Amino acid sequence: MTEVALALVLGTLFAIGTFLLLRRDVVRVVWGVTILSQSANVYLVTMGGLAGAVPVLGHNGGDHGLVTDPLVQALVLTAIVIGFGTTAFALVLTYRVYEEQGTIDLDELGEGA
Amino acid sequence: MAAADLAIAPMLVPLSTAVLVLVLGFSRRLQVAVSVTGGVAYAVAVALLFQQVAAAGPLVYVVSGWPAPFGIALVADALSAFMLGLAAIVALPALVASVQWVDPVGQRLSYHALFHFMLLGISGSFLTGDLFNLFVWFEVMLMASYVLVVFYSGAEHTRAALQYVVLNLVGSAVMLLAIGGLYAVTGTLNMADMARRLAEPAAYGVDPAPVVGLSALLFAVFALKAGIVPFHFWVPPAYRAAPAPVAAMLAGVVKKVGVYAIIRLSFTVFAGTALPAGLAGFPGDSFLDFYAPVLLAMAAASVLLGGAVAVAQDEVDGLLAYSSIGQVGFIVLPLAIAAAVPDLRPLAMTAALVYVVTHGVAKALLFLASGAIFEAVGSVRFADLGGLTERAPLLSATFLVGGLSLVGVPPLLGFLGKLFVFDAAARTGVVAPAVALVGAILTIAYVTRAWNRGFWGPPLAGEVDVRTGDLALLVALAAVVIVLGLGAEGLVRAAEAGSAAALDRGAYISAVLGGGST
Repeated sequence: MTEVALALVLGTLFAIGTFLLLRRDVVRVVWGVTILSQSANVYLVTMGGLAGAVPVLGHNGGDHGLVTDPLVQALVLTAIVIGFGTTAFALVLTYRVYEEQGTIDLDELGEGA
Repeated sequence: MAAADLAIAPMLVPLSTAVLVLVLGFSRRLQVAVSVTGGVAYAVAVALLFQQVAAAGPLVYVVSGWPAPFGIALVADALSAFMLGLAAIVALPALVASVQWVDPVGQRLSYHALFHFMLLGISGSFLTGDLFNLFVWFEVMLMASYVLVVFYSGAEHTRAALQYVVLNLVGSAVMLLAIGGLYAVTGTLNMADMARRLAEPAAYGVDPAPVVGLSALLFAVFALKAGIVPFHFWVPPAYRAAPAPVAAMLAGVVKKVGVYAIIRLSFTVFAGTALPAGLAGFPGDSFLDFYAPVLLAMAAASVLLGGAVAVAQDEVDGLLAYSSIGQVGFIVLPLAIAAAVPDLRPLAMTAALVYVVTHGVAKALLFLASGAIFEAVGSVRFADLGGLTERAPLLSATFLVGGLSLVGVPPLLGFLGKLFVFDAAARTGVVAPAVALVGAILTIAYVTRAWNRGFWGPPLAGEVDVRTGDLALLVALAAVVIVLGLGAEGLVRAAEAGSAAALDRGAYISAVLGGGST
């Protein structure tokens, strides 16, 4: 059941990200890219498998049973930090575009060549 | 210090230089001295590493002592050392040119640190043996390059940078998807381990079918970085917006990181895998048979589109940008041949690597010459240059050397690249030689046209004052193009070693997994 729910959530997230990416407003484009990379992160977590206990040893006393793959979680942490940096830069760049061009409408930006 | 420690020298040097120049912001003179010394130290580190790898085979550095495939391994084999050599040759003159051209306030604030961080990302991408680590180094390199592209932050620069940033962010998300999928399918991120498992899918319980699509996703991301048609459209605005030395680095080296990743992943990691039965329309049974037609189509499109549009450009930077799209086609063309014909694989791979260097150095020279022209004339439009040969003969001569090297006139470096590509192409059917021939003719056309319109003809009035420092730098780089062209044997031998390293999967796997020491 979790698989189906997550698959639906991932599909919706990708759809929203792609939709926003194709907008004319630069801020929405940045939102779209952010959502796309966040949904890539969610996808990455599911790649480690959904079954199993929390991958913290000693968490549940002695009985560990099957533990979820901790590697993908480390990967996602790295990816989140990188995504944070790039999003911050993209937003600053958007502001700079507005300062330079007086607009953040992509159609108007294109005409100003 | 163990020999393997040398493998991380090309990463430690730019990292410490970047941190140092950030701290030294209070003294411009000290900052510049440290930055340029860092560039020289980088070249020395790469030269030492190159020598060590040539003498004693691949070096493997295991980060924190976690043995591969569990920890991150940094692998310096002949291919990595070869690419690092190109980075060192281009980075040093670009750095010296930056000192003269980029405005002092920008240099004091961030330029030098960004440049060295970009160099760090480039070195990391060439050296890493771990797929996710490759993603991280790509991001390090790209993050620095975003800021460098928008460095002048005028109207057109911000617009170009916006496009560049958004495209690469989407590319990064797609790369994460591909890496996550490959991890789920193969159960490893170590490239050598992945190659080993994919070569015997049954023994490791790997299903090769999803790997086809996932590897194609990765390939698309690398093609975006390399600016191959149809992923080329960000190239001209970004190169035009970037300061000339940064454009030289982007065209000369950063693009080649994408090419390197294609070579490493497609030829070293995925090549051993058998194509799952029932993939309609692709003959043969190796992954490379799947990539061969794709590579050929993209190479042909790049060569023709880049060359044809370059002919119509009316300014130097635009011409160089489109020319670099066309020239990357000349690198991908032998890769397509290498993928299609197993017998020609070593020869074609050598051709691609030789072309990587010949184009990298010639394009760096041309972009730096264009920067010097802008400094001296205040414009890079051909109409404003009018008869530059009479007004600035030596500067024009260096541009001519770069242009003729692109065309492939002996004894310049570019001749070697063209020779090898034609040698490989002529041994195959009709398509590859035809594409190479038309591409070469287009190259002659746009170089000649640029020369006629910008450099020959009646000189315009007005003083042209070229700084001696700029001239000395360009003459030195032009000399490199000539000397490397004359003393081609060393370059060819290095390319052959790199080609052997790219194709010898067994050696790569045993170097990484068969007892690398810390």
